[in-house]
Amino acid sequence: MTPALELRNVTRLYPGEPPIRALDGVDLRIDPGEMIAIVGPSGSGKSTLLNIMGTLDRPTSGDVLIDGIDTASLGDRQRSGLRSGRLGFIFQSFHLLEGMRVVDNVANGLLYRGIDRSTRLKRAREALELVGLADRAATRPPKLSGGQRQRVAIARALVGDPALILADEPTGNLDSQTSEDILELLEDLNAHHGATIAIITHDLEVAERIPRRINVRDGRVEDTAAPPPIPVEVPA
Amino acid sequence: MRRPTRSTTRSRLRLRDRFGTGLSGLGSRPGRTLLTALGIALGIASMVTVVGISSSSKADLLAELDALGTNLLQVRPGQSLFGDEAVLPTDAATMLRAVPTVLDAVGVTSISGDVTRNEHDDDPYGLSVVATDGRLVDVLQLELASGRSIDAETQSLPVAVLGAVAAERLAIADASGGPTVTIDSVKFQVIGILKPHALHPDLDRSVLIGEAHARDDLGIDPNHSAVYVRVEPSLIEESRPILARTANPVSPNEVEVSRPSDALEAQTKVDQNLQNLLLALGGVALLVGGVGIANIMVISVIERRSEIGLRRALGATRGHISSQFVIEAAALSTLGGALGLGMGVAATWIYADSQGWSLAIPVQALLAGIAAALAIGAFAGLYPATKAARLDPADAVRPHG
Ligand SMILES: Nc1ncnc2c1ncn2[C@@H]1O[C@H](COP(=O)(O)OP(=O)(O)O)[C@@H](O)[C@H]1O
Ligand SMILES: [Mg+2]
Repeated sequence: MTPALELRNVTRLYPGEPPIRALDGVDLRIDPGEMIAIVGPSGSGKSTLLNIMGTLDRPTSGDVLIDGIDTASLGDRQRSGLRSGRLGFIFQSFHLLEGMRVVDNVANGLLYRGIDRSTRLKRAREALELVGLADRAATRPPKLSGGQRQRVAIARALVGDPALILADEPTGNLDSQTSEDILELLEDLNAHHGATIAIITHDLEVAERIPRRINVRDGRVEDTAAPPPIPVEVPA
Repeated sequence: MRRPTRSTTRSRLRLRDRFGTGLSGLGSRPGRTLLTALGIALGIASMVTVVGISSSSKADLLAELDALGTNLLQVRPGQSLFGDEAVLPTDAATMLRAVPTVLDAVGVTSISGDVTRNEHDDDPYGLSVVATDGRLVDVLQLELASGRSIDAETQSLPVAVLGAVAAERLAIADASGGPTVTIDSVKFQVIGILKPHALHPDLDRSVLIGEAHARDDLGIDPNHSAVYVRVEPSLIEESRPILARTANPVSPNEVEVSRPSDALEAQTKVDQNLQNLLLALGGVALLVGGVGIANIMVISVIERRSEIGLRRALGATRGHISSQFVIEAAALSTLGGALGLGMGVAATWIYADSQGWSLAIPVQALLAGIAAALAIGAFAGLYPATKAARLDPADAVRPHG
């Protein structure tokens, strides 16, 4: 099976005296259908890792393969094409376009694929259905609660049926009940719709619900999946 | 390992969506959009107004010239070979009337004489005296403000017809009631007052008397200082040399044939300098408008950093981002241009209306205005668009960048 994502010995240095080693020899593999949590303290390199996984950033050294495609030699158009075709992003601050209707925001997930508008809107409505916001399609984001906004962003990330959804602190701006709801939604999308999801979080409560966790510390990762996961304790 | 192929990995943005994304930014900030477009609007408006007013006035003048007839030629004595003032033969007007392409001809003779209101009046009014016959009104298409003109009946009587300016200076408003003027202490009865005449402003300052009266009673040589000739409209140029030869068969080179309407038409071109200056000012306004757009767009790029990051994450290429901002700037500017056209046409219309002209703005000027606005906007958008496209996407998606 082609991994959804593979990182091989990825290092990212930021310029400085001495250079900041934001990622240091990271190996990581995510298979289709997996859901993983990337955890670690603030400044440990989680966002850097996610940006590199999402081809928004390039590693200083090492390989990044997405859906089996080596990204090293790709130019801007092809890297952008990978993002439009195979990746979905969810951000802490939602990144919705405030002047656009909810359904148009979701349809933007397909904008850079060259799909015609009516098809985009049709699929956007289906995605809104999945996140339980079908009735808010014509609303504009300023009228939505934080949880609803993040659902819109989730719908936008999954509307293109990407090989991998990357979420950077998706519950970072939400209260705990809403966080719980959002996490449940993501778990449901993973379990019942086959979405492959990597969630960055420094919220341990969130992280603990996800069986596979990647711990990031000072740019190095420790994968709870390799060595094989510690058997989950089944409550009596 | 799967190899990337064009079809699976290239981003694509449909043409419609390119424009859609370019326009989406404008609607979300209508106030700013309008204010920014205003700079371009003022520039285009001033240029359209300058062109519109000048072409409306020109159209009006040309219409007036047409009405007066561009087939009027003036035959005057020029200079002799030795540089002396030449004279026209006395029978020049009669001879000219016999030319087949000549519809009619009339001679005028300048007479030196002081025109005053009465014999006790010695104010200088700066008026000239012209002797002519009854044909003058027809040939020059003169119109009377009141009374009658020199004609077959009156040309041998001691009567005078005043030009519009002459009447005003002599404070004679009406020919009825028998007003009189004196020319070198000889009394003349004023029988008519002319309307101002665009082609012959010198007639406005003249007092006309009958040629027969001047010759028979005042003993003045009817040495025509000019002969006005109406020629066949389709044969104007061909007639010119014939007129010179006919007026003075002995020395045709001592005859000047000119067309008064040419001089008037040339006057419209004198205003070209002023027009160019105003156009240049409009150009400066456009330039300032363009800089304003570039400025606002740079600010917009900074403000919309997270939108740019989002679009990059959604798969926009650098090219998609830059075209979005170029289109936005061009649209902003074109909006201003359209606004400016409206303002310019309205201003021209109001001015033309106040002058009693009809509106005449060349369509090319309007198209050029819109094209200029579009080009300026696209150019102004280039720098901010490049800035937007060069934003590091990883940086742009970070919170509070
Ligand atoms: N653009 C950058 N330039 C320089 N240093 C950076 C940049 N982005 C992140 N860093 C540094 O890299 C390290 C990892 O940052 P980040 O990936 O944002 O961590 P996290 O998301 O875990 O909080 C931090 O020390 C941060 O200061
Ligand atoms: Mg982070």
